Amino acid sequence: MNDVVLRAEGVHKSYDGLDVLRGVSIDVGRGEVKVIIGPSGSGKSTLLRCLALLEPVDSGSVYLESERLSDLREKQLAAHRSEVGMVFQRFNLFQNMTALGNVMCGLVEVRGLKRREARERAREFLARVGLADKADNYPEELSGGQQQRVAIARALVMRPKAMLFDEPTSALDVELVREVLDVMEGLARDGMTMIVVSHELRFAHHVASSILMMDEGQVIEEAPPDRFFSAPSHERTKRFLALVE
Amino acid sequence: MLASFDTHIFWEALTSRPYWHGALLALELTLVSLAAACVIGFFLALGRSSRFRSVRGFVFFYSWIFRATPTLLQLLFIWNGLPQIWSTFASDWFKPFLAAFIALSLNEAAYMSEIIRAGLLSVDPGQELAARALGMTRPRILRRVIVPQAIRIVIPPTGNEFITLLKLTSLAYVISLHELLTASEVRGAADFHYAEAYSAAVIYYLVIVSVLMVIQAQLERRFTWSSAGRRRRVPVVSVAHDAR
Repeated sequence: MNDVVLRAEGVHKSYDGLDVLRGVSIDVGRGEVKVIIGPSGSGKSTLLRCLALLEPVDSGSVYLESERLSDLREKQLAAHRSEVGMVFQRFNLFQNMTALGNVMCGLVEVRGLKRREARERAREFLARVGLADKADNYPEELSGGQQQRVAIARALVMRPKAMLFDEPTSALDVELVREVLDVMEGLARDGMTMIVVSHELRFAHHVASSILMMDEGQVIEEAPPDRFFSAPSHERTKRFLALVE
Repeated sequence: MLASFDTHIFWEALTSRPYWHGALLALELTLVSLAAACVIGFFLALGRSSRFRSVRGFVFFYSWIFRATPTLLQLLFIWNGLPQIWSTFASDWFKPFLAAFIALSLNEAAYMSEIIRAGLLSVDPGQELAARALGMTRPRILRRVIVPQAIRIVIPPTGNEFITLLKLTSLAYVISLHELLTASEVRGAADFHYAEAYSAAVIYYLVIVSVLMVIQAQLERRFTWSSAGRRRRVPVVSVAHDAR
């Protein structure tokens, strides 16, 4: 695949002398969905934060559509961050804004849209995640699943080139997982480029172009879902899959 | 019992011009000092988590100085000492009100910075992360996301600070600012009806603080983000604590 949207190359990252990422390379082509699995502490979340330009890398590079971003300064980075959508495990909605306010925020504060125009577009995206009727509710009045869908709309409204999901369903009650996965599957169908950290293996099997296994700060295996699940080549992957299923 | 409490004198004092003016002066001094303290305190609070060691050091030094020394001493220092050190202040425009304003706002800023810091820290860092991911810059994140939520946390203790500060304005009595305590002192000394004179001042302080408590409750409701929260009554928490 030549049309690579987001790429990390040999990324190293450590915190207080602890090596969290040890030379990770990953790329995702336009319209591809890559699912990352792995035990906690394997560096999945850190990798996503580096790809979302939220954390500077110690060495290696991050490219967005072949533009090298990892050595830009903070000021220039802020503008590029809006080109990559990020969805967090704990939703991280702005508690002082309604659902609509959350979705509008980036359009007004980052893109400089007029409030009226931003409101219209935000309503459109809230409707897309099935929450048109919750526009005026504050986050604390919404269920976890609804909050996460608002968070998806908030990222999506910026028309990002890629969407990153950091365990988007693991803070949800079981019966609320489905509504979030449905929205994500819809996105994948519409051709959104996505990287998803998740242990929803059925979702991965169903949607992913390929699945990556991370362990101890490295990607140890990458394969299309069928091969990944039926014949994992790595011993560590086999053990992990046995535990998750 | 009430051997010599002359309600007539009490009433006359209560409605007299010096009291009214004194109360107004005390209230003005409290409001402008608290406003200035909030601004200074906000930057001190940001400075506490600065990546520059020198900035953090300055903030520490500042709150050490202003919290470890008596407010009365600070007031006298600014009024009597400052003009000696710095001749700019040794002139007519340097009035007691200005001196009291400088002393009280610098002093109060040390306390407000702690309160504001706690407010800023109370906002879940995940929200800041999400705002950064959207491409928002730090000043915008502060203004749109963090500060509005911090205000909710900051209001109740700031109400306490208002009360403390209102009472501290009476210290300005010693630098001949004609605030409320001065008014009652003068009235009492005129014919030695101290009980009546002081009681009238008590009424003024009580009224000002009561009005504040009502305003505070309304502010708290204003900064609660749920459609239900705006209707819910927020209990008034205001017990002034320390005698500085």
